[in-house]
Amino acid sequence: MSVGVQTGRVGLVGAILLGGLITLFGLIFVVGGANLAALGGSFYYVICGLVLLASGILLLLRRALGAALYLLAWIGTLAWTVYEVGFDWWGWLPRLFGPTILAVLVALCLPALRRYETFRSTTAGPVSGPDRRAV
Amino acid sequence: MRRFPLLTTTLLCSALALAQARAQVASHSERIPGMGNDSAQDASSASKFTAPPPGNPQAPGVNAANLPDISEIDPATIPAMVPQQSANPGHDDWAAYGHDDNQDRFSPLTQLTPENVGGLKRAFVYHTGSKPGPGQANKWAAETTPIKVGNALYMCSATNDIMRIDAATGEEKWRFKAGVQYHSIPYTAACKGVVFYTSSTVPEGQHCHDRIVESTLDMRLIAVDAQDGKACESFGTGGQVNLMQGMGESVPGFVSMTSPPPIVNGVVVINQEVLDGQRRWAPSGVIRGYDAESGKFAWAWDVNNPDDHHQPEPGKFYSRGTPNSWATMTGDNELGLVYVPTGNSAADYYSALRSDKENAVSSSIVAIDVKTGSPRWVFQTVHKDVWDYDLGSQPTKLDYKAADGTVIPALLVPTKRGQTFVLDRRTGKPVPDYPVEEKPAPSPGVVPNDPRSPTQPWSVAFPRLGFPPLKESDMWGMSPIDQLFCRIKYRRAAYVGEFTPPHVDRPWIEYPGYNGGSDWGSMAYDPASGIVIANWNNTPMYDQLVTRKQADKLGLMSIDDPNYNPSGGGAEGNGAMSDTPYGIVVTPFWDQYTHMMCNKPPYGMIEAIDIHTHKVLWQKPLGTARANGPWGLPTFLPLNIGTPNNGGPIVTAGGLVFVAAATDNLIRAIDVKTGKVVWSDVLPGGGQATPMTYMVDGKQYLAIMAGGHHFMMTPVSDELVVYALPGKTG
Repeated sequence: MSVGVQTGRVGLVGAILLGGLITLFGLIFVVGGANLAALGGSFYYVICGLVLLASGILLLLRRALGAALYLLAWIGTLAWTVYEVGFDWWGWLPRLFGPTILAVLVALCLPALRRYETFRSTTAGPVSGPDRRAV
Repeated sequence: MRRFPLLTTTLLCSALALAQARAQVASHSERIPGMGNDSAQDASSASKFTAPPPGNPQAPGVNAANLPDISEIDPATIPAMVPQQSANPGHDDWAAYGHDDNQDRFSPLTQLTPENVGGLKRAFVYHTGSKPGPGQANKWAAETTPIKVGNALYMCSATNDIMRIDAATGEEKWRFKAGVQYHSIPYTAACKGVVFYTSSTVPEGQHCHDRIVESTLDMRLIAVDAQDGKACESFGTGGQVNLMQGMGESVPGFVSMTSPPPIVNGVVVINQEVLDGQRRWAPSGVIRGYDAESGKFAWAWDVNNPDDHHQPEPGKFYSRGTPNSWATMTGDNELGLVYVPTGNSAADYYSALRSDKENAVSSSIVAIDVKTGSPRWVFQTVHKDVWDYDLGSQPTKLDYKAADGTVIPALLVPTKRGQTFVLDRRTGKPVPDYPVEEKPAPSPGVVPNDPRSPTQPWSVAFPRLGFPPLKESDMWGMSPIDQLFCRIKYRRAAYVGEFTPPHVDRPWIEYPGYNGGSDWGSMAYDPASGIVIANWNNTPMYDQLVTRKQADKLGLMSIDDPNYNPSGGGAEGNGAMSDTPYGIVVTPFWDQYTHMMCNKPPYGMIEAIDIHTHKVLWQKPLGTARANGPWGLPTFLPLNIGTPNNGGPIVTAGGLVFVAAATDNLIRAIDVKTGKVVWSDVLPGGGQATPMTYMVDGKQYLAIMAGGHHFMMTPVSDELVVYALPGKTG
């Protein structure tokens, strides 16, 4: 039981750290991607950046949807990679290597986030619980 | 819109600019055609520093040994040349830079084969003693290939000492100290090789019957005796000739020689590297012939004074800023020609101030008659080159067997563009099986008064050494973020494929880059099988012209400026291009924060081409990631990523290709049939040199100068590493 609580806590802290990182990447993607799109380049970065922003913010809020959105972005990136470079592995390296590492970490946090959401819904809100007792 | 005021200024100031240009180019004929009406200087083109008039005395140290002037000899009186070692080398020898007079980098040795080459071990290591000293900037890249005649290796150090080494033991037999000073090192301290010459007048057994000839960084031609290494007193002044004679005002390091001078029918032919990117009216690119017996001056080919083959009178000078030739030339005793691979006129990226005569011979092969100094034919590989696509490779002679059975004396001409031309040596025309097409090129470009050529030549039947034009999706990086950064860089730049014209308002992508395609490493050719071995680069550049005002702000100065910082810039990077309206900013097309190239790998390739079927037999990336990673850090990964490479391949009758060249500091043997690497070894420094192979007492050796290369960012060493199979003896 205590082990489960421990991993759950690690998962939640991880989700927050990942959320910060993904928010940062999302911002870079949106700003750089908008720049690129304005220069006539690919729209991938600005679209993916918006998804990453949403994902990162939700992860900071410890919402499982944030993790799901990141995994969605990863699947989209995979499809985009195949569309752009086919199965040229050198082309896969920048597009998927880093994002895949993040995807694995995000997936590892998912059980903790879901447990946390279940806990939240059964106790009628995370913040109000202790408050209500105090009133 | 922004160009309008510039144009107005240009018009207003053209008269002044014209007068200036005329004053500055005054040469020994006082006449430069094609100069005046297309000069496009504006008021801001006057740099902070005004170069001294070209008639001024040369700066101290330019004539390094304070040699007196050399007198002239009538070329017709030069004695007939006796047969040379390089014309028909001994089976065990490597008698010239490219093995023999054909310069094909092919050895008939068969002891080493794909089956046994895996057993190669170091036989000895020889230290040349030349590397950066304390407080000296690293400008070293030895690039040396020794030659072997009899039982001796002859080579030069990166700073021109000449050495004779026992070819079996590595013991130094003698050393001629050239005394090249640090301040004479131009962009690079390199000495590609020396020349073995047998005298036509000094009888066998007498001093200087067999000579070692070299040309130096500080512009001297030196001849020493092959047996004892002592200077040949009957040659020049005490064995030396001052090659700065007639060059006009200059400073040390502006003009230099790094390639072995060919000796054709008794004439030593001299070209010289003029530092790129400095000023439009840099010292001349003149090609000169000297008597190999006496060292006396025989003729000059001065592009803007083609009918005057004499040395300039005192106080006069060869015409300034003409195309320089720094590559290794190839001689042809039978046709009495020297094949000169030329470069650009000075100020590589701006062509409005070039004469028609310069435009006719730049980035070309010029075949000069060694009896007269006049060109017999010219073949141009780039018209009005503003991409630094000068010819860096040594051309290779071969007998081309045409489909109809006729044998054509041919010349294989690699280029930085990755176009390889096969020419008839007699006429300079492409051989019929390898036609050349003029294809439309982007023109007229955007730089005012400097239109580009509407067409460029393509060797359509020879497999191109290159990949398709860059796309945004070819951008690369370690992560999506640096990939995004490179995509933005790609979209910000002007790029319409090869020959994208220079831009001022934004960068342009130069692809292929100026490192090739093929650079000075040249190609290897097996005359028995007709297989060409070529290693090449895939490294685009990111260029931008900057106005004179911006250039001044960036601190771009020419080498003769009193404030020039010798360790700050170089010929391959940003340049002041003084005397023109623009400076040039050049970097590799990379992520400047991680120093990773923006385009995806591979960055270097090696391939085998059958010259008769025109087919690529195999093509592989050349160079691993072991010593190359982000921020220049080694990854230790054996991943065959294909790295930039400088240095040529050699091919042997034993069925092997030997090549180092890549930035992974490996020397490797490749099976010529399959392209598979069958042996490799880690060198003590970068292997940016062409290896060579020879035999002594029945044992085959492989030698490679692991001198490193400052621009390729590989470690410097002074070690010549020589391999052989242990215990193997005849």
